[in-house]
Amino acid sequence: MSAAHSSAGSGFRSRLAPWLFLSPFLVCFALFTLYPLVQSVVLSMQTTFGPGATKFVGLSNFRGLMGDPLFWTALRNTCIYTLGSLFIQLPLALGLALVLETPGLRGRSWIRLLLFSPSMVGVVFAAMMFALIFEKQTGLANQTLNAMLKPVGVDWSLDFGWLQQHVMSALIVASLWMFVGFNMTFFSAALQNVRKDLIEASVVDGAGPIRRFFTVTVPAIRPVAGFVVLMSVIGSFQLFELPFIMFNNTAGPDNRAMTIVLYLFQNGFETGDLGYASAIGWALALILLVCAGVQRLTSRGEEASA
Amino acid sequence: MQEQKDRLAGMLPEWLPPGAAIVTLLAIVSSALLAVGASRPTPNEKAMWTFARPHYLMYEPRVEAWNKAAAKDGRALFDLRLLSLPAMERRMMASFLGDVPCADVLEVERRGVSRTFGGPVESVGFYDLTETLKKEGLLEEINAPSFSPWTTRGHIFGLPHDVHPVMLGYRADIVEAAGIDVSTIETWEDFARVLGPLMDTTGDGKPDRFLLNMWETNQDHLELLLLQAGGGFFDEHERPTLDSEINVHVLATITTWLGGPKRIAADAPNFSAVGNKLKADGYVLASFFPDWMGDIWKHEIPSLSGKMKLMPMPAWEKGGKRTSVWGGTMLGIPKTAVQKPGDFDKLWAFCKELYISDQFMRDLYREGGIVTPVKKYWSDPIFDEPNAFFSGQPAGRLYINLAPLVPNRNSSPYNTFAMYRTVDALVKLAEEARRAHEAGEKNAYDLPRLKARAKAFLGEAQKQVEDVLKRNVFLAEVGGAS
Repeated sequence: MSAAHSSAGSGFRSRLAPWLFLSPFLVCFALFTLYPLVQSVVLSMQTTFGPGATKFVGLSNFRGLMGDPLFWTALRNTCIYTLGSLFIQLPLALGLALVLETPGLRGRSWIRLLLFSPSMVGVVFAAMMFALIFEKQTGLANQTLNAMLKPVGVDWSLDFGWLQQHVMSALIVASLWMFVGFNMTFFSAALQNVRKDLIEASVVDGAGPIRRFFTVTVPAIRPVAGFVVLMSVIGSFQLFELPFIMFNNTAGPDNRAMTIVLYLFQNGFETGDLGYASAIGWALALILLVCAGVQRLTSRGEEASA
Repeated sequence: MQEQKDRLAGMLPEWLPPGAAIVTLLAIVSSALLAVGASRPTPNEKAMWTFARPHYLMYEPRVEAWNKAAAKDGRALFDLRLLSLPAMERRMMASFLGDVPCADVLEVERRGVSRTFGGPVESVGFYDLTETLKKEGLLEEINAPSFSPWTTRGHIFGLPHDVHPVMLGYRADIVEAAGIDVSTIETWEDFARVLGPLMDTTGDGKPDRFLLNMWETNQDHLELLLLQAGGGFFDEHERPTLDSEINVHVLATITTWLGGPKRIAADAPNFSAVGNKLKADGYVLASFFPDWMGDIWKHEIPSLSGKMKLMPMPAWEKGGKRTSVWGGTMLGIPKTAVQKPGDFDKLWAFCKELYISDQFMRDLYREGGIVTPVKKYWSDPIFDEPNAFFSGQPAGRLYINLAPLVPNRNSSPYNTFAMYRTVDALVKLAEEARRAHEAGEKNAYDLPRLKARAKAFLGEAQKQVEDVLKRNVFLAEVGGAS
């Protein structure tokens, strides 16, 4: 009887113990993630102004989104920024990583630290700094270009509006400064893990540096590159602080710095339309899910072919 | 190790594994620490929040004096807290939307207040002051336009702090050295004609400085110019009026200031080191000056003290309005602070002591350059004192002369949205004209052409605002959502 009781007790304990350990997380997850998630679905189908003023509007917020020119502007801007990240930032990061991994390079650690250090700076600080750099008249960018081009007979206008007419370029330049070094470290780590024997074998087989890069290095770093691409896409679609600070809490002239998250913020926290903001949030989630799905399908295809 | 483990297990009940015991202990200790840290007792019964440091510094001794007197006669004691504007507005909105308490008295800026007017009028988080103001005669005693930003659907939710008339501050040292008398300037056209010769200092035919600090991206400047002209974003029934004829005219005219042969304006951003340098260098000769701006310039650009003077804003047409309005602050009582009979009276007495007293009127002017909205104090000699920053002009008197003419501000929760859309229209218009001018088109800055394009861009903006209003089913009653 006692043995049976003890065995039952121990069975109960072993069943209970994992849940007991998990319970702090599960409670927090349910309270702070799951419940708000479900609530935001409900909210996206409402027009609300506090608990005393809520009306169910069905899918009308989502329908409104489809015909909202500002949402499409925000989506277009976010996509341009994402493409800038993918096609300028990542190749640049990979290029720097390749340079850093060149055998015999002196001061490698210092260069790595130098390139990585901007990512340790807060986005808000970087945004303020670039807002000053791109100012008209007194900004470093216009002053430098003016001074450099004067000797060759070009009169670079100090009134050149980086933050007026060239908003996306300004944002991409700022993000390059911040994140190239960060992504470089991922590529650098991946390059260090490329098997040396494969490289040596390709050299013996007569492959040149370009061929070696595409046939040995690229396939070897593909999983890391896939991860970096996905993270960059997600990060780019969540772009908020950089334009928000650089353009003084606005979406810039003619909404050229309007991103999806900034539009969500304006609707939810400036206009107070939480229902519409929730609908924008779910649209963004859907876009990111599609991106992640595409990435997963692509990498699965590559794994299968490998 | 095993021995230690056994000893620990022996101290615990059989059903509690050592790992779980440690986690539970940590949870209890950290929760207790958090609870103790979070429950810092509020020394006084009531709390007031403000968002501006100069206000905080001005109110601190007054709240202290109130508390000293209140401690003797049993009135409520107050704590004054300074919060950043966004933090305060977010806490306020969270409190109103979640129906949970925040402070007992809130000093809020115009844009923050209009956001609380997005729902049915009965769900506005502030206590309705309309009847109290009527009963106490304050509706007559306070300058009428000062109530407009705190009024929605006929209900007033705030006690006004200010009037904020706008004048033009100009570089008197430069203008007077050129022998120009600004009293001959009555309209914006006069302004450009009379001061125009000052733009080319080197005689090469190109402007080296500009007459007005204004740019297409500056929403505050655009709004005050629209209000001055009698335009704006909404009518008195809160219906959008972005594409009105007045707005079209103002946008087209401003575009001629920003580029082309009649350019008179340049960008010297406010509240920034860059802008301050440009102003100090004389890159722009005149800026819009609401009454609160003088104190900011005095601290940020002290080198301009004695070099600046004030003049009424040039009108849009002869005999037109020579002022406008920029900003605004109120004192409000959240509904959550009024729980039992007598609560409101305690808070209201404090609000009146803070905003309506003659001492406050003096502090407000001496420390912030701001004129009171309480009309009975306007004859006070303090407003006739010469102001050293403005070359000895009696700045207070100049602002008070314009105070009754200040236009009404809109309180729509969509005012900021509408303002951004109007700025979008101006940006498009200015850039289109600039491109056409650079391409050699001679009539790029012709007013009729600009007006036609302004009408089109403002039409798009109007449509966007209407679409947003349609989404708000609660504002249908005021005609916003049709």
